[in-house]
Amino acid sequence: MIDVGDVQRRLLTFALVAAFAVFGCSKRGAPGGAGAKPNVPRLRLALIPKGTTHEFWKSVHAGAVKASRELDVDLVWKGPLKEDDLKSQIDLMQSFVAQKVSGIALAPLNDKALVSSVNAAARAGSPVVIFDSALSGGNVVSFVATDNRAAGALAATRIAELLGGPGKLVVLRYQEGSASTHEREEGFLAGVKTHPGLEVVSDNQYGGPTTESAFAASERLLLAQNAAGGGVSAVFTPNESTTFGMLLALEKAKLTGKIHFVGFDISDKLAKAVRAGEIDALVLQKPFKMGELTVHALVDHLRGKAVEARTDTGAELLDRKNMNQPAIQELVKPDLAKWLNE
Amino acid sequence: MKELLRRSWVGPLAALVAVYALFSVLAPATFPGGVNLTTMLRQTAVVAVSSLGMTFVILLGGIDLSIGSAVALTSVVVARVLQSGAGVVAAVTLGVLATVVTGWLNGVLAARGKITPFIVTLGSMSVLRGVAKGLAGEQKIDADPHGLEHLMTAGAGAALPAGVWLTLALAVAAAIVLHFTVFGRHVLAIGSNENTARLCGIPVERVVVAVYALCGALTGVAGVLEFSTLTVGDPTDSIGLELEAIAAVVIGGGSLAGGQGSVAGTLLGALLMTVIKTGCTHVGLPNWVQEILTGVIIVVAVGIDRLRRR
Repeated sequence: MIDVGDVQRRLLTFALVAAFAVFGCSKRGAPGGAGAKPNVPRLRLALIPKGTTHEFWKSVHAGAVKASRELDVDLVWKGPLKEDDLKSQIDLMQSFVAQKVSGIALAPLNDKALVSSVNAAARAGSPVVIFDSALSGGNVVSFVATDNRAAGALAATRIAELLGGPGKLVVLRYQEGSASTHEREEGFLAGVKTHPGLEVVSDNQYGGPTTESAFAASERLLLAQNAAGGGVSAVFTPNESTTFGMLLALEKAKLTGKIHFVGFDISDKLAKAVRAGEIDALVLQKPFKMGELTVHALVDHLRGKAVEARTDTGAELLDRKNMNQPAIQELVKPDLAKWLNE
Repeated sequence: MKELLRRSWVGPLAALVAVYALFSVLAPATFPGGVNLTTMLRQTAVVAVSSLGMTFVILLGGIDLSIGSAVALTSVVVARVLQSGAGVVAAVTLGVLATVVTGWLNGVLAARGKITPFIVTLGSMSVLRGVAKGLAGEQKIDADPHGLEHLMTAGAGAALPAGVWLTLALAVAAAIVLHFTVFGRHVLAIGSNENTARLCGIPVERVVVAVYALCGALTGVAGVLEFSTLTVGDPTDSIGLELEAIAAVVIGGGSLAGGQGSVAGTLLGALLMTVIKTGCTHVGLPNWVQEILTGVIIVVAVGIDRLRRR
C-alpha cells in the first residue's frame, strides 16, 4: 500500500540527493588546489606563538605560511592578545578547541600551565605539536625546536678554534629559571670540557632580564676577573640581551678585539659589531625553518604518517666571513614580505 | 514596556544578543553551540567576579585600580601555600584573606586618609604587583593544585565547571546585598550624593571601608579562579584586568560618577567583551584588528546606552 505521504517523502529524498550531488560536484570544481583530494575535508591548523610582535615570531610565521601553501592546508596564526600573557594563551587554546580545528601548534609560555589545555585539545580531537619551548609531559604529537645544547656546544667549538690552545673562559648566564638559555649554557660548558687546556674561570654570574642589568653584570664580571690584565681570553653569552650587555661592557673597557667573544641571537647592532670585529661569532636559531617543520609535523600526523617525537631545527654560526652569504642572510633578514603580505 | 526599557541592563543585553548573532552568522560552523558557550562562560568567570567587586566600588563613586595586581597576588599566595604542603583550604583562605586586607587598606586610606581612591589604588596597584613578584621570587610558581584545577575544568560535553556556578551564585548574592539590605541602600545613597548621605546619618567612612574590603574579597575569589585556570602562581598575570572590570561595569550601565549601575548589567558587560574576543578568534581576525574593534564596540555600546536614557 502506497499512500500519498510516502510518495512525497520519496520525492523529497530524491530531490535532496540530487541537490547534494549537484552541490557536491560544484564544490569539487571550486578552486581548492590541484592536490585537493575529493571527500577529504581541508585541514585547518591553528598556530599559537608566545607573542606576535617580535621579529623571531614573524619569521616562524613566514615559514609556517610557506609550508601551509606547499601542503595545501589552511593556517590560522594567533598569538596571545597581551604579549607573553599566560592567561590569554590558555584562552586561545580553549577557543581553538571549541572551533574544532584539525590540529594545533603551540609555543607554550609555561611548561606546566599549558599541559591540561594541551591534553584537553588532544581529547577533543585536535592533536597538538609543541614548538620553540618544551612542555613538561602532556599528550603531544611532536616537539619541534632548536636543540639548545647542541647550539651551545657549537659556540664552545668555535671558541676552541679561535684560541687554538689554552685559555680562560667566562660565561655570563642569562636568568634563573629560563630553560632554553640554561641548556645553551650547559651545552657550552659540556663542549668546553672536551677541549683540554680550556678553563672556565666564571660560570655563576647572571645577566638578568634587561640589557641594562646584563651590562652592569658584565662590567662587574670583567673587573672581578681582571679582564684588562689578561685574566680572560674568551667570553660566551647565551641570548641577545646578555650579548649586547657584554658588548657594551667590552667597548667601555676598550677590550673589544682583545678578548674573543661568541654570543647568541642577532640584532642590527650585533651584526655591526661582528662586521667591526668586536664579536667573533653569533649563534643563530632558525625560526623560519621552525615554522616550516612545525606545520610539516602536524600535517604529516593528521595525514597518517609517522612523525619524529623530537625535531631539531638546527643552529648556525654567523661570523665576519660568512655573514654576507645568502644562506646566512636568509636567517638574519628572512623575506617576510613574500610570505606575510606585509 | 517603557518601564522595562529604562532598566539599565536592557542596553547591554541587546548589545550582547546583537554581537552574538553577528558572530554566529560570520562563523556559523563553530561559533554558535554549547561547547563554545561553555568556553566563553569559563573565560568570563575571572573578569566577572572581579567586576562584581568593582560594581560596588563604582556605585560608591570610587574606583579600584589595584585588582589586576591583587588577582596576581592571590594566585601567588595560593601557589606558595600549596607548595608548602598546607592544603587547599588554607591556600584559598590565605589567598582571599590577603586581598581582603589590601582592599581594607585601600578603603581606610581613601575614607579616613582623605586621599582620592584613584591615587590610593594607583599606588596599591604598583605595591601589590611588587609584593607578588617578591613573594614569587620573580618567577612563576609551580605547585600541585590538589584538585583546585577542577574549579575551572570543563566537565563532559558542555557542562559548566564549578567556577562558573560559583560566579553566578556570587552575582545573585551581590544583587541581593545591593537591593535588599541597608548596606546596599547606603552604598547607593553615598554614590548619589555623599554629603546628603552624611547628613542623613549614614556612617559614610565605615561603608566606604567595607566596600573596598568586599571588593578585595571578590578579587581574592577571582584570584583563586585564576590560579585554577593557570595551575601556576604567576606574578605577572592579569595586567590590565582592572580596566576590563571597569569596562564591564560601564558597559553594563554603570556611571563613573557613582550611584548608577547594576549587577546584571556588569555580568552582561563582562560577557560582551568575551564574546567579542572569542568571535574575533573564530572569524580569524588578527590581534590588532581585534583590539581596535573591541575599543569601538565598547564606546558604541555605552554611547547608545546613554542616548537611550536621555
